[in-house]
Amino acid sequence: MYINFKAIANWAKSAAGITITISIAVALYATINSGPYVLVNTIITGGMLALVATGLTLMLGVLNIAMFAHGEYFMIGSLTAFYVFTPISNYIMENPDSFLVIIGPVIAIVLSMVSGAIAGVISEKLVFGPLRRRSTDNWVMNSFLLTVGLSVLLINLHQLIFGADFKGIVRYWGGMPVSIAGAFISRDRIMAFLISGLIVFLFWFFMTYTRTGRAIRAVSQDATGAQIVGINIENIVLLTIALSCALAGVAGGSLLFMYPSYPTMGLEPLYMAWFVVILSGLGNILGAVAGAFMVALLKVVTVEYIGAGWDFVVPSALIMLILIFKPSGIFGSEVRGVLDK
Amino acid sequence: MLLEVKELDAGYGYLQILRKVSLQVDTGEYVCIVGPNGAGKSTTMKSISGLLKPMGGKIYFNGEDITGLPAYEVTQKGIAFVSEEMNLFVNMSVQENLLMGAYTIKDKNAQQDRMEFVYDLFPRLAERKSQLAGTMSGGERKMLAIGRGMMSKPTLMLVDEPSFGLAPQLTETVFESLDILIKNGVTIMLVEQNVNKTLSVTDRAYVLENGRIGLDGKSSDVANDSYVKKVFLGV
Amino acid sequence: MENIQKRQPVNTEKSREKENNSSISKESNQSLSKKGNQSLSKERNQSILKEGDQSISTLDVFLEKTGFTPVGLLGVILLLIMPFIPPFNQEYLLRWLIYAAFIAAMSVGFDFTAGYINIVNFGYAAVMGYGGYTSSILAINLGLTPWIGILIGGLNSAILGLIIGMISLRLRGIFAACLSWFFGLALMGLATKLVWLTRGPLGLRVPRMFATESNIPFYYLVIILLVAMYILCKWVVKSKIGLAFQAIGQNMDAARTSGINPVFYRVFNFTLSCALAGILGGFYAHYYAILTPEVMHTSKTVEVLAVAYIGGRGSLWGGAVIAFPFIFIMEIIRSTLSNLPGLNLIIYAMLLILVMIYYPGGFSYFFDTHIRKPKNKALRYFLNGRETSAS
Repeated sequence: MYINFKAIANWAKSAAGITITISIAVALYATINSGPYVLVNTIITGGMLALVATGLTLMLGVLNIAMFAHGEYFMIGSLTAFYVFTPISNYIMENPDSFLVIIGPVIAIVLSMVSGAIAGVISEKLVFGPLRRRSTDNWVMNSFLLTVGLSVLLINLHQLIFGADFKGIVRYWGGMPVSIAGAFISRDRIMAFLISGLIVFLFWFFMTYTRTGRAIRAVSQDATGAQIVGINIENIVLLTIALSCALAGVAGGSLLFMYPSYPTMGLEPLYMAWFVVILSGLGNILGAVAGAFMVALLKVVTVEYIGAGWDFVVPSALIMLILIFKPSGIFGSEVRGVLDK
Repeated sequence: MLLEVKELDAGYGYLQILRKVSLQVDTGEYVCIVGPNGAGKSTTMKSISGLLKPMGGKIYFNGEDITGLPAYEVTQKGIAFVSEEMNLFVNMSVQENLLMGAYTIKDKNAQQDRMEFVYDLFPRLAERKSQLAGTMSGGERKMLAIGRGMMSKPTLMLVDEPSFGLAPQLTETVFESLDILIKNGVTIMLVEQNVNKTLSVTDRAYVLENGRIGLDGKSSDVANDSYVKKVFLGV
Repeated sequence: MENIQKRQPVNTEKSREKENNSSISKESNQSLSKKGNQSLSKERNQSILKEGDQSISTLDVFLEKTGFTPVGLLGVILLLIMPFIPPFNQEYLLRWLIYAAFIAAMSVGFDFTAGYINIVNFGYAAVMGYGGYTSSILAINLGLTPWIGILIGGLNSAILGLIIGMISLRLRGIFAACLSWFFGLALMGLATKLVWLTRGPLGLRVPRMFATESNIPFYYLVIILLVAMYILCKWVVKSKIGLAFQAIGQNMDAARTSGINPVFYRVFNFTLSCALAGILGGFYAHYYAILTPEVMHTSKTVEVLAVAYIGGRGSLWGGAVIAFPFIFIMEIIRSTLSNLPGLNLIIYAMLLILVMIYYPGGFSYFFDTHIRKPKNKALRYFLNGRETSAS
């Protein structure tokens, strides 16, 4: 087999190559030094972040909305999963042999996805749609401020209706932890990773190879061109917002066992996802996935070696450094869109 | 009659550009609109293609009223618009751009046929199937834009300023490709600044001035008109 | 502060220079009373009057120099006598008034960036908190008097603004906003984690500025700060610099090609607005006497942002005016409907959304288009001040 060493060498010298290489090295070192749970945590956090960040980057690319309320769809997902799974879990307690033991969590997670999508559609219909019809002058800034308002609104609606306490569950799937390479990992974590991996893969496949996915990308690259070739932009916008909010919702739902639902829980996934989007550049799904694992690694390693709470400081400092030297992000593509507006 | 525009008023915001523009295109014709900068040529094209909502007047296509329809429905009716800016999907490959052009065709085989037709028309595009559209040269992009327009199997093609920003040689190539389209039975409405060249290849011409049709007729007649000669051709 | 002021294109006109100095001294020396300020300007007015046009009254010149309209001046006077008007002479209402004036001043500084160079400084509350922490730590550890501490806090925040301005230079719009947001998050993280310095989430106990239980001195201080900041910002945006700001905010490339150097103006804008935030942070700390990392939270920025945008972007005064009724309504809802937590925030979020969709110009735009142009000449003068050919 012919291997193009020169291309590999060039890739290794590019910003993407350097960061990926360093990330893998750090991950290996941390795993050897502190144990495999570092890697496990990284992978699970990264999977969740990948879901939220791809949604965010999609919104930014297609709708030109810099979403500040994306974490709130994460919150809606986890809230839905909590209220769906709690009765199921009670039922399982009484009937331990029921088929719901396996299917119950799946129902909760699927519904969290659906609720995210519905919330997204409602926001488009009630908030972004009216603004788009009214005026698209200074759209990026105005829509951004709208999402700020939306975020405050959703957080406080949660607090008003469901209260500010932690709404969490102990576990989705019971049973003994699974031993992988000497580390014991709970089944929930494995399932969470499998779910996020599956969804990210399906999403990537959908965006790359299907007609509708291609249409979404087309709108993000040139909205006028998309209209010319016969794409109904309004439908694509609606579909995009539903998809990206569904991704955030399912992330919230599938991680309910780790992060209980409470009003302001969305802030952390939000800023982490923004880290990812800025780190990896725009309009690049695979870049966002890679970036998600890097940011997750950064967070986990920071907590491991510097201490909890510093995960606010270290990643933001590093990302500011990256922004200074490479404003278009590590995997920055030629698409400029939002950057120019 | 394939396309009939009746007393079209159009413009942007409060600025009205077109005033009572009427024109007709028959099936198989090669029609052009010429005129000075800012006369409203591109505005006419945008109004027909549905990108711009007309302020008044009617547009009929195949006898059907398409006034004010959104652009995607106009495309579905069989009108392809090749805009001045081309509006290519810069981060997609040539192949993907062409596939997007066939968005209104759902049948995979029909798509494939169209693709082969376009590749035959522009062998240059076939060579560069997997190149990103954004990294191509200006002439190739024009070809791709025209090819993408062809993908939807249009009955009428609106082509806006195909020679804009191109070297003279490339302009020739673009005009040649339009010729081939005409021979394939496509009706073309062309907007051009290169008046001399345009009038020599097209069948019929409309002269647009200050948002009104000033003159129309056979291209050769228009080219010989003393006023046109003086103003546009500088003879 | 003074260094930055000197970097501005210096106007040769003597009175202008005086104005410059006086705004700095007001800025830096809060003990200078309102009265002193007025007498200073009177002096200047007379010197101008001697030069020519007799029809311009002293009041007009004073208004023109300070950027107030007669109705605005009336508003300030109203604020000054507010603590003696019956319902507001109660201490708890006075606390609300102080908080409203504080938010009003914050929104002036925020609008100075958001409304002019069109970049939302999302870490604004963090910069404010940074100034507050600087002053508090100096007061606690070195026993420095708050009066100097606040100034050092402002200076420190100005340096921070300089840094944010520099590193966000290559970014545009929303990305610069993100960068300042991350900066704010990092600062808040530091304030939480540097427990030996800030006592973390427990909060610092800060000495108060005036050793009295009464809120009145604090009230006058914050009003003076508000007025001084408004005059300073208005003065900057009315000058050539303001024009450059707007050019950069609307189209950076066009501005650059027409010879405006965005580097200087963007950095200057960030520096000045952050300096104002730092001073306000010092006031906040020395008034509430407790400082926690919570004040640096994004939600605080959102509060200022909501006020500034509902008030009307790019007006400076819109946010300052709207802050008072806004904060009052919020506080009334919060205190009367305490069994429905978060209701006030829901209302303000909905207000922000509705304003952004249906009335993006905000209150100032409403005022300018519907109220400002009455037929009656006296009323017209009252609302607009002397009509100048320039405006």
